[in-house]
Amino acid sequence: MNTPLLSVEGLSKRFGGLQALSDVTFAVNTGEIVGLIGPNGAGKSTLFSTLVGLHRPSAGKVALNGRDVTGLRPHVIAANGLTKTFQNVSLFAGSSVLDNVLIGGLVHSRVASARGFAMDCLKRVGISDIAQRSAGSLSFPERARVEVARALCTRPKVLLLDEVMAALNTAEMDEVIGLIRDLRKDGLTVVIVEHHMRAIMSVCDRIFVLNFGQLIADGPPAHIARHPEVVEAYLGREHDV
Amino acid sequence: MTSLVQAIIDGLMVGGVYAVISIGLTLVFGVLGIVNFAQAEFLMLGMYIAYFAWAALGLDPLAGAFLAFGIVFALGYGLQRTIIQRVLKAPAVSQVFLTVGLLIVMENGALLAFGSQIRSVTTAYQTKSLQIGPFFVSLPYLAAFLMSIASGVSLWWVLNRSWLGMAIRATAIDPMAGRLIGINIDRVMAIAFGLGVGLTAFGGAVVLPYLSVFPTAGSQFVVLMFTVAVLGGLGSVAGAVVGGLAVGVITSVSALMFPIQLQNLVLFLVFIAILALRPDGLMGRA
Amino acid sequence: MTMRQTFLLICFATLIPLALEPNGYYIRILTLALLFAALGQAWNIVGGLAGQMSLGHAAFFGLGAYTSTLLLIHFGISPWIGMLAGGVLGGIAAFLLSLPTMRLKGHYFALGTLAFAEVFRVIANTWSSLTGGPVGLSVPFSEPSLAMLQFNETRSYYYLMLAAFVAVSMIFVIIVQGRLGYRLRAVKEGPDAAEVIGVNTTRVKIHAAVISGSLTAMLGTLYAQLNFFFDPDTVFGALQISIRIALIVIVGGIGTLFGPLLGALLIIPLEEFANVMLADRAAGLSQLTYGALLMAIVLLQPQGLAEFAKKLAARISGKVMSSKTEART
Repeated sequence: MNTPLLSVEGLSKRFGGLQALSDVTFAVNTGEIVGLIGPNGAGKSTLFSTLVGLHRPSAGKVALNGRDVTGLRPHVIAANGLTKTFQNVSLFAGSSVLDNVLIGGLVHSRVASARGFAMDCLKRVGISDIAQRSAGSLSFPERARVEVARALCTRPKVLLLDEVMAALNTAEMDEVIGLIRDLRKDGLTVVIVEHHMRAIMSVCDRIFVLNFGQLIADGPPAHIARHPEVVEAYLGREHDV
Repeated sequence: MTSLVQAIIDGLMVGGVYAVISIGLTLVFGVLGIVNFAQAEFLMLGMYIAYFAWAALGLDPLAGAFLAFGIVFALGYGLQRTIIQRVLKAPAVSQVFLTVGLLIVMENGALLAFGSQIRSVTTAYQTKSLQIGPFFVSLPYLAAFLMSIASGVSLWWVLNRSWLGMAIRATAIDPMAGRLIGINIDRVMAIAFGLGVGLTAFGGAVVLPYLSVFPTAGSQFVVLMFTVAVLGGLGSVAGAVVGGLAVGVITSVSALMFPIQLQNLVLFLVFIAILALRPDGLMGRA
Repeated sequence: MTMRQTFLLICFATLIPLALEPNGYYIRILTLALLFAALGQAWNIVGGLAGQMSLGHAAFFGLGAYTSTLLLIHFGISPWIGMLAGGVLGGIAAFLLSLPTMRLKGHYFALGTLAFAEVFRVIANTWSSLTGGPVGLSVPFSEPSLAMLQFNETRSYYYLMLAAFVAVSMIFVIIVQGRLGYRLRAVKEGPDAAEVIGVNTTRVKIHAAVISGSLTAMLGTLYAQLNFFFDPDTVFGALQISIRIALIVIVGGIGTLFGPLLGALLIIPLEEFANVMLADRAAGLSQLTYGALLMAIVLLQPQGLAEFAKKLAARISGKVMSSKTEART
């Protein structure tokens, strides 16, 4: 079997007395779309932050394309092809939309060529018309898209999307689902944290379930929907699947 | 060895005073969230009040300290309501420049009002000291130390045992929540600012028996106060006490090793090191 | 502001001295204002672009003044070379300061940098064998020449400072429009997000600090040559240098290209006139006025003069001046 693109082994993160992640192990292969679900506070965002290097893991290993990236600074990990969007949206509010995205492109190129590529990324997510607007003046769905464009501009191999569909209506959500599928066609590997089960179930090849910082299930959507522990921990109470 | 122990004793004596004047700074930061660069000027003001109370009324500076506290408390309350309050939500830059402006105004106001001459008081106990074995404790230093500790304990009592203290602590933690449970946070903040600068003025008055007062008397305490406050964790009253005693001992012991001019240097280096290593203070925020 | 307007402004600045007495009082004030505008612009790289409010730039300024002057006194080395040496030392000092203050924010950064500059002031006052101690240093006189950076007329210094301001401003513009500028704004507005999209926030902050510190040190040399005399408290002073530089930029408009010039043209003459008019009346009166003005500025116009000028211009011409947005984008 090939080396997985992203492999996580025994990853743990402890904040003082709180065990946010314990012994999380999984692998994501090139071209997969993987969903990560779990109740609020299960550790999904902590997992993303730890993967991209914002938190230093207490134990465990993260490897990207076979290369150990555990404990490296986020910008190094980004340069190696792993980046994420922020759940609460963290744009550079004083800069224009285009400049926000452009900064992502500076990993690989100078300002002039990064600007062209940033425009391409904005077109890609369908918001090239707001390129000159100030990032601070956007609506939440617009900001979430700028986040995606900015992450794309770093030319990632693996993209972690943290609730980019929050606050979207059904039509907008379908657009984003279409976008994620298109990205996969271009060879991108995507991991999604999302609360909308319909979106997750329709777009993902596989789903991981996180509860109390532990991975409790891993499988195709249909399998996850029937998994007793998952239904118990998460799905059964909040959703009818 | 004897001289080292003696230096530690001296350091603790002045450290108690450092603690009290820095409690004022840390209290203002903890409750209002602003770093008051002008804090040391209230120490100078406290010294002047105690001096004139002594010169005009014959009041001992240790008694004048209470007068200084009262006057400066009222002044601080008024300043907070009229000026400081307007920058509480402003960027840090604005706050820094406002309090630096206040520093300049107070220092030069004192120069205009009182002239540049150096003034000091004479008291009966000024030159006396206690002897314990081979060690000496200077009486004015001891008195200042005891007064400082007493005022620190009083403040601790107010903060932890009274309704006002509860309101102050609640405001420090979360002003919005404070407002929700019916605290008039504008008034609480003004009281906290008054208490903070009042305590610093109190500390200024109690050191008058062994220090002189002049318009720039406060400026020599600026870095010292910040070192103490940052050492203990800006916003932590208990930390300021520990920080004050520690800084007192550090300066006193370093005087054994370095020429007097370099004492401040040691302080600055300690200060930068603490900022770099433990920005929340050695004890964390209380 | 467009290229054409900028060009006209520089032409205008070049012509001003022709209307003034070459060694007069007014040209001296303008010369000083230009020097502080240049210092403000250098500070702007750290304070405006990276959003780190340094109150320690006096450390670099004084280092530059002492380096070139000591080299001149002891070895007769031209201040031009001394200026470069000071620039190197200033850059090194800024690098060393970055290490402990890198992760500090807001008040803590301001306090840490302030203490750093105070360390230099104490050392300069104490190490008398090298620095002359509190007495200060005098720049030795030589034949007036560009090579020795000494002139008979204040007018020549005016052009020197104008050139310095233009040079530092060009560096500022190059930074703003280049990779470093974009990255600095990202660091300022969202350090975590910047890291995750590939910005090495540590290196970016160090780069800005070193460039800013180095330029500030070089301007310190120019100050020494202009003033012929200085002591530790004037070149390493918190109020005299660090806070004054920051104040000028904040008043003029932080992070903007013309903010430092606006601020310096307001603050420096204001201080000078306050000094002249009030200093004789009573000791402390001019300083008191200065402090009161400082407080008033903060309370009345927290966004800075540039913002105010922008609004005013927008009202007059019906369109927004673009200088500020240019500097920001």
